[in-house]
Amino acid sequence: MRVKVLRQLSPFTEPYWEEFLYDGPGDNTVAGLIDYLNYHDDIVDINGKKTTRIGWECSCLQGVCGGCAMVVNDMPRLACETFLRDLKGEELTIRPLRKFPVIHDLVVDRSVIHQNLMKSDIFIGAYQPSDGADHEHQYSVAKCLKCGLCLEVCPNYVNGDSFFGAIFANDCYLVSARNSEKRKEITELYHSHFGNSCSKSLSCMDVCPMKIETIASIAKMNRQRG
Amino acid sequence: MKNVLIIGSGIAGLSCAIRCAEQGVKATLISPFPSERAQSVMAAGGINAVLRDCEAGDSVHSHIEDTLRGGSFLGGKNAVTGLCTRAEEIIRYLERIGTVFSVDPSGSPSRRAFGGQSYKRTCYCGSSTGKQIVSALVMEARRYEAAGLIERRLWSCFHSALIRDGRCCGALLFDESTRRIEAVCADATVVATGGQNSVFGKTTGSTQCDGYTAGRLFMQGVELKNLEFIQYHPTTVETAQKRMLISEAVRGEGGRLFYTDSGRRVYFMEDKYGSRGNLMTRDVVSREIYAAGRDVYLDISFLEQKEIDERLPEVRELCRKYRGLDIAREPIPVAPSVHYFMGGIAVHMNHETNIRDLYAVGECASMYHGANRLGGNSLLSAIYGGWTAAEEIAGREAAVRHYDFSGLAERESAALMSRMETESRFPVMYIRDMLSETMNEKLGIVRDQPTLTDGLADIDYYLSVADKINYDPAVMPYFNYSLTGILTLSKAILTCALSRTESRGAHYRSDCPQEDDSLAYASVITYDNGAFRVRFDKEHEYES
Ligand SMILES: Cc1cc2nc3c(=O)[nH]c(=O)nc-3n(C[C@H](O)[C@H](O)[C@H](O)COP(=O)(O)OP(=O)(O)OC[C@H]3O[C@@H](n4cnc5c(N)ncnc54)[C@H](O)[C@@H]3O)c2cc1C
Ligand code: SF4
Ligand code: FES
Repeated sequence: MRVKVLRQLSPFTEPYWEEFLYDGPGDNTVAGLIDYLNYHDDIVDINGKKTTRIGWECSCLQGVCGGCAMVVNDMPRLACETFLRDLKGEELTIRPLRKFPVIHDLVVDRSVIHQNLMKSDIFIGAYQPSDGADHEHQYSVAKCLKCGLCLEVCPNYVNGDSFFGAIFANDCYLVSARNSEKRKEITELYHSHFGNSCSKSLSCMDVCPMKIETIASIAKMNRQRG
Repeated sequence: MKNVLIIGSGIAGLSCAIRCAEQGVKATLISPFPSERAQSVMAAGGINAVLRDCEAGDSVHSHIEDTLRGGSFLGGKNAVTGLCTRAEEIIRYLERIGTVFSVDPSGSPSRRAFGGQSYKRTCYCGSSTGKQIVSALVMEARRYEAAGLIERRLWSCFHSALIRDGRCCGALLFDESTRRIEAVCADATVVATGGQNSVFGKTTGSTQCDGYTAGRLFMQGVELKNLEFIQYHPTTVETAQKRMLISEAVRGEGGRLFYTDSGRRVYFMEDKYGSRGNLMTRDVVSREIYAAGRDVYLDISFLEQKEIDERLPEVRELCRKYRGLDIAREPIPVAPSVHYFMGGIAVHMNHETNIRDLYAVGECASMYHGANRLGGNSLLSAIYGGWTAAEEIAGREAAVRHYDFSGLAERESAALMSRMETESRFPVMYIRDMLSETMNEKLGIVRDQPTLTDGLADIDYYLSVADKINYDPAVMPYFNYSLTGILTLSKAILTCALSRTESRGAHYRSDCPQEDDSLAYASVITYDNGAFRVRFDKEHEYES
């Protein structure tokens, strides 16, 4: 299988495509494939020329840490839970998430996610749950990996300057459900950094590895208006 | 204001940083990646605590007893007493900062049975307990970040400790984004870098836990403890890329282990140990599976699908995704695999190491779990350890010191970069692969002197190569400079396993299968100019 990878040696250098030939097991994941290219033997490109090992981020290798988020065949996904058998075509293209600065190859700097949540005071403070809060949805929302796949696919998210994306909407719900005192403040922030600009394409939900129902957070937050 | 440098942002590092901030101590929290990537998010089954509304008959005393007995009485008794006594406070705290626990009809955290425990006292959040706790701690830390009391630095990796006159003054850190080494000075330094997984290659845990920090500190004079005690989790499954854990929660919810003999299911744990046989401690269950010598399965399919989806949704999803197997319909093929490190950096009850102002907390430290850890006690000890260190640091006078380490950082940076410009014919990752092969082969569930000695010879060879080879520019600098520390740690582990000529907890020697009362002490290893010296802590130096 031909594998095209968009590479970049450091934040200070230009990106370039490099091609590889993968002859490893067919039941692998994309993470397993990268590992195989990197460490099965010396790493060479498709012409047999020696090259550097492909940089990528991983930790859990079981879809629960969000580290390995990347774009595979134009779809933002977690590499460690994307199986080759589920991909179509004889060629595979892999590139880093586009909406974040590249550190090295497929490793990107997603700190803007955390920065935006920090700027907008997304923390619970004193636990004062709202009446009738939806425990199941809170549980689901708290599983957000902060992987950024939803931001990558979102037509409204650019670089996090003003629109903060699905991650923010979900965390706003979590905070307002767990501390009713903050509800008003959070609802305002929600509208200015999410609600007012979201065009409801809901592509975020299609790619979310945790299957978080962002639409439920949106509905609950909108109900809190006024 | 006092400042503390915390290395590692999993549950232990986060808890320590927040506790420091609460007491007005400024914390710099460093890690290569954010907390969401730490191994802590993988913890599934739960966290132990005896709450006010506990099962009838349960008590803090019983939790202490179970913990000490489970660890074959090598855990620090006073420390374990502190841990179990504050467990309820920890759960209430976690609730208050917004952890989404599974709750019973009265609103109290639900509890499940876990191995080696006399009562149901494992509080849980479905089967994603660690993730739910990390999410809550990250939010709470954010509050102090906004107030300037916690500063996070990503892309930062530990390089070495700055030790002068027997005190730790901070650390050299390597920054992956700038590719430079920088000196960070602090009144106190806390290491919270997790377990030693990479020594064994891919384990159930995170690839980020590599043991380098413990290895490097050891080379700088820090004592390590109980390294021979490595927990094999009895129930893991093979996937394309790793051995994946099947949480003990499955057995906690009633899961049964069996093998088949002439088409008949043999529930070997129940046959040997009675109705609670499946929930014996992990060392016992792993050895029994090993002794069975055939394919072993874990069955939970007798539960209603609805119950599985309520209590074990993540386990069902993982098995479906990675094995195409539905646990609601069929049994899970399981085998033991390396999972947790009871040993690590030796610390006193206040979590300080033998070097003043240097602390270790969480899985990288060794204190509570003795020769075998009970499931659900690790998350608890990560938080408790983080708090204990923070409280100690806040209560101490800040040292007045004036050292300038910038020259040292410059020199180390230049040396690293010049080594990176060389070409290696012996890539560092190959040595790491060979290392994990050696460790898996020579330090299994059952050990003996000849095998361990072989293992030591292998590591000595890798060490002799590692010192000579050039760096491999095809991988990140961290992978290069961390190699010697990881190898040195591996050698220390094997040396401790050789020294303990008895069987206890997770350390089983087929050539000395009995417990030996004269060795009923923690092992402590020191590095003395290349010489590895092991002693048994008969004076309980590390208990106070
Ligand atoms: C699959 C699985 C399930 C588990 N389930 C449970 C359970 O149900 N209950 C329970 O009590 N325990 C459980 N455990 C154990 C528990 O998760 C860990 O022991 C605990 O989370 C350790 O927390 P920690 O903060 O010490 O380390 P970690 O969470 O591993 O964090 C380590 C941190 O250090 C950083 N780091 C590492 N090396 C460096 C370096 N060189 N420089 C800078 N930073 C570095 C990492 O990036 C990370 O931020 C489980 C473990 C696994 C693997
Ligand atoms: S909402 Fe889903 S896609 Fe977005 S960061 Fe969280 S887990 Fe990832
Ligand atoms: S490595 Fe953790 S999600 Fe893929």
